[in-house]
Amino acid sequence: MPEEFLVDVDTLRTQVREKYRDVALDPHGTHHFHTGRPLAARLGYEQAAVDSLPDQAVESFAGVGNPFSLRPLEPGEHVVDVGSGAGFDSFIAATQIGPTGSVVGIDMTSEMLTKSRDTAEQLNFGHVEFREGLAEALPVESGWADVVISNGVINLCADKQAVFAEIFRVLRPGGVLQFADIANGQPVPLEAMHDVDLWTG
Amino acid sequence: MLEDSGFKHVTIGPAVDTFGGAIGEVNARSFEVYGYAFLARRV
Repeated sequence: MPEEFLVDVDTLRTQVREKYRDVALDPHGTHHFHTGRPLAARLGYEQAAVDSLPDQAVESFAGVGNPFSLRPLEPGEHVVDVGSGAGFDSFIAATQIGPTGSVVGIDMTSEMLTKSRDTAEQLNFGHVEFREGLAEALPVESGWADVVISNGVINLCADKQAVFAEIFRVLRPGGVLQFADIANGQPVPLEAMHDVDLWTG
Repeated sequence: MLEDSGFKHVTIGPAVDTFGGAIGEVNARSFEVYGYAFLARRV
């Protein structure tokens, strides 16, 4: 394992995939975090926007904050959603930017991609697409995005500097990164930071 | 870390009690873990 990372990158990715595969396939199962519509309400999403989406778009939502709370998106914007999961934030973005904009969701978990693509088709959202990829290697052209959003994903990446560098690359000059994530107010002991199980649990 | 990556004008929103009432609340409380919204610009 490279010394600069606290945990093994591949081991962490495998555990994250397993965790979020469960969230995709069994969203109402037992998870250590809230999910779905109750979580969206807790995080302050606009009720009418959430209500407009079908259960399949919302039930596997497992974000940690509201990436739209500091800045609503503008019509026509090009948006990249890093770690799009089952697509909830991508669909909220799609409603804000309208049909003249475009959303590209990126996720590494095949069950999430299957679900988000199916929902986009159901919603007839032709301006939303989902691509398989990693946060550290986004399958997006340099400078394409006006906005990058993400929700509860970067904390699950071992190499955060690589993630921010990729986001910087895909944003156009003047573009905006608006994301939600967790932060701790008390220091975490070093042994806990090396425990990969605590990263996902 | 955001500014190290070249982002400017970083804004952080208020804390949100993301894990309150969830199974993960115990660990979250131990380290005062909350959710935040972040805004930053590529200049």
